[in-house]
Amino acid sequence: MKRSTKRKLVNAVRFVVLTFFLLLVVLPIYWMVITSFKINQEIVNAQRLTYFPQVFTLENYQSLFRMLDYGGFLRNSITITMATAICVVVLSILGGYGLARFKFKGKSAVLLFFLITQMIPGILVIIPLYVVFSKAGLVNTHFSLFVFYLITNLPFCVITMRSFFERIPYVLEEAAYVDGCSRLESLVKIILPVMFPGIVAVFVFAFIGSWNELIAGTIFLNTPDQWTIPVGLKSLIGKYSVQWGALMAGGVLALLPTAVMFIFVQKYVVEGLTSGAVKG
Amino acid sequence: MKRKGLATMLAVMMVGLTAVGCGKGNASQGQANATGGKEEVKTLRFLDVTPSEKRQTYYEGIFDKFEAETGIAVTYESVPWDDAANKITVLGSSNQLPDVMTTWSGWLGQYTQAGWVIPLDDYIADSRDEYTEAVNKLLWKSEEDRYGHVYTIPDGLMVKGIFVRKDWCEEAGITLDPTKDWTYDDYFDLVKKLTDASKKHYGAAYRGARGALDPLLVYMQGYTGGNTYDQSGKILINSEDCLNAFVKWTDVYKNGYAPEDAINWGFTEMVDNFTGGLVGTLINDSEVAATCQANMSDDQWMVMPMPKSTADGKLYNTINAPYAYSISGSSKNPDEAWKLIEFLSRPENNIEYCKLTGEIPIKKDVENDETYGLSGPYATFARQLNDPDLAVPTTFGPFDYTDLHQGMFHEEIQNYLLGNVDARTALDNITSELQRRMDMYLQDNPDSVIESALKLK
Amino acid sequence: MVKEKREKKKWIYRGVKTKMEPYFYILPVMVLLVLMFGYPLIKSVIMAFQNYKLSNINNVYFNDLANFKKMFGDQNFLLLLKNSVVYVIVAVLGQFLLGMILALALKQKFRGRGLYQSIVFLPWAFSTFVVGLLFRWSFNGEYGVVNDLLMKIGVIDKGIAWLGTPGLSLVVIILAMIWMGIPFFGIMVLAALQSIPEEVYEAAEMDGCGIIKKFFFLTLPYIKPTIIITVLLRTIWIFNSFDLVVIVTGGGPANYSQTLPSYMYTKAFSGYDFGLAGAFGLLLMVILGIYAVVFLKISNYDKAGDF
Repeated sequence: MKRSTKRKLVNAVRFVVLTFFLLLVVLPIYWMVITSFKINQEIVNAQRLTYFPQVFTLENYQSLFRMLDYGGFLRNSITITMATAICVVVLSILGGYGLARFKFKGKSAVLLFFLITQMIPGILVIIPLYVVFSKAGLVNTHFSLFVFYLITNLPFCVITMRSFFERIPYVLEEAAYVDGCSRLESLVKIILPVMFPGIVAVFVFAFIGSWNELIAGTIFLNTPDQWTIPVGLKSLIGKYSVQWGALMAGGVLALLPTAVMFIFVQKYVVEGLTSGAVKG
Repeated sequence: MKRKGLATMLAVMMVGLTAVGCGKGNASQGQANATGGKEEVKTLRFLDVTPSEKRQTYYEGIFDKFEAETGIAVTYESVPWDDAANKITVLGSSNQLPDVMTTWSGWLGQYTQAGWVIPLDDYIADSRDEYTEAVNKLLWKSEEDRYGHVYTIPDGLMVKGIFVRKDWCEEAGITLDPTKDWTYDDYFDLVKKLTDASKKHYGAAYRGARGALDPLLVYMQGYTGGNTYDQSGKILINSEDCLNAFVKWTDVYKNGYAPEDAINWGFTEMVDNFTGGLVGTLINDSEVAATCQANMSDDQWMVMPMPKSTADGKLYNTINAPYAYSISGSSKNPDEAWKLIEFLSRPENNIEYCKLTGEIPIKKDVENDETYGLSGPYATFARQLNDPDLAVPTTFGPFDYTDLHQGMFHEEIQNYLLGNVDARTALDNITSELQRRMDMYLQDNPDSVIESALKLK
Repeated sequence: MVKEKREKKKWIYRGVKTKMEPYFYILPVMVLLVLMFGYPLIKSVIMAFQNYKLSNINNVYFNDLANFKKMFGDQNFLLLLKNSVVYVIVAVLGQFLLGMILALALKQKFRGRGLYQSIVFLPWAFSTFVVGLLFRWSFNGEYGVVNDLLMKIGVIDKGIAWLGTPGLSLVVIILAMIWMGIPFFGIMVLAALQSIPEEVYEAAEMDGCGIIKKFFFLTLPYIKPTIIITVLLRTIWIFNSFDLVVIVTGGGPANYSQTLPSYMYTKAFSGYDFGLAGAFGLLLMVILGIYAVVFLKISNYDKAGDF
């Protein structure tokens, strides 16, 4: 009796908590979406705030496509982000495996170095890199951003990947060696399939880390045909008017690809991290 | 054998993946090189610092015409206004500046010092007469006074005015006549009368953030004959009269005639809140007329001239070219760049541009176009240009003050608005820093002439 | 043949098959990172001691400690330091607590949990730019939905100028940062929670442990490593991040919401003074370095070098 009331109480609390977090996320998104369908006079209106568009309009979305080459931005963002995420995954697998399975000289120095890279303020990396890239003729190329995103995402992803490897029982590998597999073979054939959720998790980390980056984007890219989505969106803030409607529409469109991706991969992310969560 | 094969495969995979990144990069790199201007194909890079849909359409159209005539292609690059100064700094320091840049006059101190823009005196020598009096006697004179050369060709002229909610005035029983002179006290009075917090009506679009000192400087210069410094380089705007002006100006905010949020407002917020119906007046450039036309009906707004000084009866108004054309120090093809500027400045092209952006033309041939007549939408601005009392006050100085403009100027005023310091301290902090920089400048450039207010007539 | 194989296995097991093998795995990453972080790092340390103005790149010289004097002599310095500390502590604490609560609520399976997770974790996928704008717009003193809602419930009777009031403007930035960061903590902690073997709880229940006791004596110790690492990293990231400040308030009014890195960014660009920016950067790294050492010591994390 007492036990079941207690359980009921716990469930009720849980329900309240879950609802709170749902509203916390949904309400701002609702506001963003709703604003993106309002006409400008309704958005910037000091007299009355509307919680649903009085005049429903697609103009903000249309103007987005008219003013900006949104499709182009999307293509640019996808190219850079995918290239970054894939390379980060491959390099993290190698680096993470190396760190997890071997003891070698300088290992703790490597780990310390990773930690230090996280402490360097981004802007201090961007400016010297910009000067180097400009000398190499790489400014205003996707490659420059690709390199920057690669290095900024790598340390965290390598460490994360390493903790995944540490959770994989060594017995699995041993079995493969007995069958005459080399280290690389066993890595590719035996371990990676087991680690699939973890690989997805790292991919998502790298993807999100580069998809939304703005500062380096505005500094490295000059021409609209090279811009990524955040850089393109930023250009909507003009000198004389902030186009709130169009900005919110842009926010919605920028969010859509990642939101769709989330629906499919969030399961793997949690699963992957679960297997590597506790270290040691 | 098998092992090697796998290792190779993995290596190839990695190289391949990297190539995905590179492949895209290389393609655009090729383009960047081409636009850098190699001998075979002449391509110019053009940077617009205030991109918008209509500006981009205009420029791409006119660049096509230019290419058809000269065979020189032009690529349109742009950077949002808020990032423009930063971006140009990064481009300039790595010698990556585009051939032709649109430039705001406030940046010139820094750019001339750094060699990021080149003098245009030789290019304009033959054609100076084609430009209007205002360009010659005000803009170029000011640049020559400050930097010894002409560095920019104006895109058009911008004159300031006070935008007013016509309908609010009618409601409040106020009649305004834009053809009559008025004073700052009249303006403050209007601001007070238009304020009705219960209706969410505020009198003024008070500018509290970046650029807060700009309109205030002009008001204070009404008490110094339009000058920031005297002929020996001593700062003038810290006098008692100027302090009074400082207090009266900031009272607009302190007395609640502007929304509390306005302490954070820059250009953008001012305009949005005027068109959005929160504030009743807005001091800004003729350029804003286009935004008003787009967002408001004609019976909602009107333009008043800037108030006249009660000290000397002059009409002090800044007149500048908001996005003047300059040739960058990085340009490998300055002659071609000049051809482009010359093309853009042709009377027929200039008038098309000015009508689009709400600016006043720069060429004599088109200065009397009916759009700019006394019955057109720009009447108040045109009238001010023709006012015999018109005087253009000086700037903050010939030195680089970008950092002050983006920081200290408005931070000191904000500190006063928040009650952290008194008005005297705030004004003195600003003026002593200006004085310090001016002294340093004069030490390095002992022969320089100190600019003074300019008159057209 | 068989013997040979067994021999090989032994070698591999010890992890010293050849001395070079580990480097083959780690080298690509290290080369990239050392080159791309090392150069900027050294460069900015040097810049910190130089008169290095981007606008006057041809006149660079060592100026002793002028940049540091300027930095510590800045009348805003203490305010910036205070803001940074408040910002990072409140934001990290807020994210951590809320993220943990979310994770605890998510631990048990329920219908639609997958969908629910993909929604509540969404803020993680937002760009800082969009979040910054959304908060700036929602907390607008005149048009903002937050004021409108608060007035509707009757908490306030007059709109608050959130972004124009010292103290409050920083609050908005902190709220935005917390909002964005809850999912990251949520995911990390949830993953750690799920990796706790069920038997551990069953045993505890047998012993008659209550929920609270279980949480403090079982759950918390088990997920401690995850918490330490996540808090450490988050603190570093948040401390160094400045985009939200720039987007939401620009540091205003009068620097009341300005933090050290956002000030550094503004100074670096509006003054084009990279020497000064370098000095600020060095200070940030020193602060974070000390923090990391102290934090790892206090939290008793045994694998100190290994974050």
